[in-house]
Amino acid sequence: MKLLVVEDEAKTGEYLRQGLTEAGFVVDLADNGLDGQYRALSEPYDLIVLDVMLPGVDGWRILQTLRAVENNVPVLFLTARDSVADRVKGLELGADDYLVKPFAFSELLARVRTLLRRGSGQIATDRIQVGDLVLDLVRRRATRAGRRINLTSKEFALLELFVRRRGEVLPRSLIASQVWDMNFDSDTNVIDVAIRRLRAKIDDAFDAKLIQTVRGMGYVLEEPEDLR
Amino acid sequence: MRPFSLTTRLTAFFSLSSATVLLGLGALIATSMDQHFAHEDFAVLEEKANLVRKIVQDAAPAAMPARLGAALQNHPGLVALVRTGEGASLYATDGVEFRQALDAARALPAGKEEFTWRQDGAEYRGLRITVGGAGGEIHVIVGLATEIHAHFMHGFLHSLVLYVLLSALVSGVFGWWAARSGLAPLRAMAVRARAVTAQKLDERMPVEAVPLEMADLASTLNAMLARLQDDFRRLSEFSSDLAHELRTPLTNLLTQTHVILAQPREAGEYREILASNEEELQRLSRMVSDMLYLAKMEHGLTLPDAGVIAVQDEVSALFEFYEALAEDKAVAMRLTGRGRIVGDRLMLRRALSNLLSNALRHTPPGGAIDVVVASDATAVTIAVENDGKEIPVELIPSLFDRFFRGDKSRARPDSESSGLGLSITRAIMVAHGGDITAGSAAGRTRFTLVFPAKDALPASSAAGARGQ
Repeated sequence: MKLLVVEDEAKTGEYLRQGLTEAGFVVDLADNGLDGQYRALSEPYDLIVLDVMLPGVDGWRILQTLRAVENNVPVLFLTARDSVADRVKGLELGADDYLVKPFAFSELLARVRTLLRRGSGQIATDRIQVGDLVLDLVRRRATRAGRRINLTSKEFALLELFVRRRGEVLPRSLIASQVWDMNFDSDTNVIDVAIRRLRAKIDDAFDAKLIQTVRGMGYVLEEPEDLR
Repeated sequence: MRPFSLTTRLTAFFSLSSATVLLGLGALIATSMDQHFAHEDFAVLEEKANLVRKIVQDAAPAAMPARLGAALQNHPGLVALVRTGEGASLYATDGVEFRQALDAARALPAGKEEFTWRQDGAEYRGLRITVGGAGGEIHVIVGLATEIHAHFMHGFLHSLVLYVLLSALVSGVFGWWAARSGLAPLRAMAVRARAVTAQKLDERMPVEAVPLEMADLASTLNAMLARLQDDFRRLSEFSSDLAHELRTPLTNLLTQTHVILAQPREAGEYREILASNEEELQRLSRMVSDMLYLAKMEHGLTLPDAGVIAVQDEVSALFEFYEALAEDKAVAMRLTGRGRIVGDRLMLRRALSNLLSNALRHTPPGGAIDVVVASDATAVTIAVENDGKEIPVELIPSLFDRFFRGDKSRARPDSESSGLGLSITRAIMVAHGGDITAGSAAGRTRFTLVFPAKDALPASSAAGARGQ
């Protein structure tokens, strides 16, 4: 997967490249609008991360140019100005998602993965398995090592999110948004509590733990080594 | 054009009114004096006419002119003409030509006796009588020159005009003086107002020292100054609070980083410290986002969408969100009532979420949180009520201030709360044309959101009322 990052702030750009490279992407970095526009038009990318405020050609212009030549590469734009007008403008111009600075890197990573997955289409399935955990998506039931686990509907939705995006670190804000449709930061540790309760049901009775805490980033569900 | 100054207007008004009053009075006096003189003149004429009548009736025709002469000669200003029916003159005042008098008398309707005529530039009041004597009808005209009275009236009017002019001038001066001294308290207030600056907001208008009419203005100004002073105090407190709030996490970050960099360490230690830094940075970042959100709400840069929202659905969604936390703390959450508002769904959720998370923080285990939705013709209210320690009454007005913490001694009561939640909730309510109130009694604390009722809402107030 090849990504283009257009960001003029040197430190931010460098860390974005490092972070995304370490997450397994091939990353090109352009540090000004002109360069960014040239690369976006001349090379095939799977996704572009675009800063709006750029010297030379701004992010809006690059986006417009891309869409004008019917280049439909997914674009995630970064903005420091969190105004509704800005967001609406970006989405109208054909951007696929946006993030307001300052953002958590895990949030960016999660959004990037969502956008990349969108193109390929989600696999229509009625059963997902990770190690010895099996989710029956039709009957909304979970079993682990053959034992039925009683989950509330929200707990099931939470587990389903982890399973569908296994191996990805999910930041708390993304979990709140995807499972509860709460698109703002709660000033409580409600997500941590919800995950603790989910762990109590699916992990506590087993030696191999599925859900891991990644400090400072969020939570991830991974298939433990010994269950592979 | 700028209107005339108060002093000019008052001065003109005083002069004009005194002139009007005096002129009116003068005219009244002049008229009644004129009438009085006429009355007097006709009384004299009447007397003379009677005398003539008597002579005509009693005296022998031959003696008549001499007797008439004796009776009519010695009165200054009196003229008389006595003629027989055939036109022969029995007596006529010397040197007076009676043509105009005769013309005027002839024009008189029958029966009317009093008349006036002008002759040789002088005016006369006259009386015409006819006496039936022994030698046939005798026609008598007696007249009195009004010259003496006219002279007097002229003098009177002359001094009246002089007096009116003088008194207009004097009352103008009085008016000017009254206006100047009457407005002096205003100038005193202006001097006070000039002394008010951002650093010196405790100046007040002298309510006791100004006249009653201006006391109202003075106390209104004082109330305004008090509000300004209060707002200003909050603003400066806010600035220092903000600096403090930012300084604490920044100090932590700097110290930690310096200490860790001071000597080489294990990878695990670095990871630990970076994770700890991340937590501080998250806090800072959230605080900045919250402050920006608040600033934009308060400046009307973020306008609520106007959709119809079923409040109970949003409360239920939030209950689901907070369910795990509430169960963990053994706090029950209950919803009663329903209602619909016009507003922004995300903002309503955020406002309610702040109230619920506050309530969850302060409700003891085993307690309950009640959300009561009620609506009437004018408003929809959402009350969030929880068990827990009461908030002292004196703290309630400050609850919605930024960074307000119930206990000032605790610098960072818990790392999760930014201290801006209630401010944001209030800003959201204001943007919706609503309000938030708080109360605390008998072990229950209640926050009430008041939205204007869906139908009572003015067409423009839900969204876009305030320009960008």
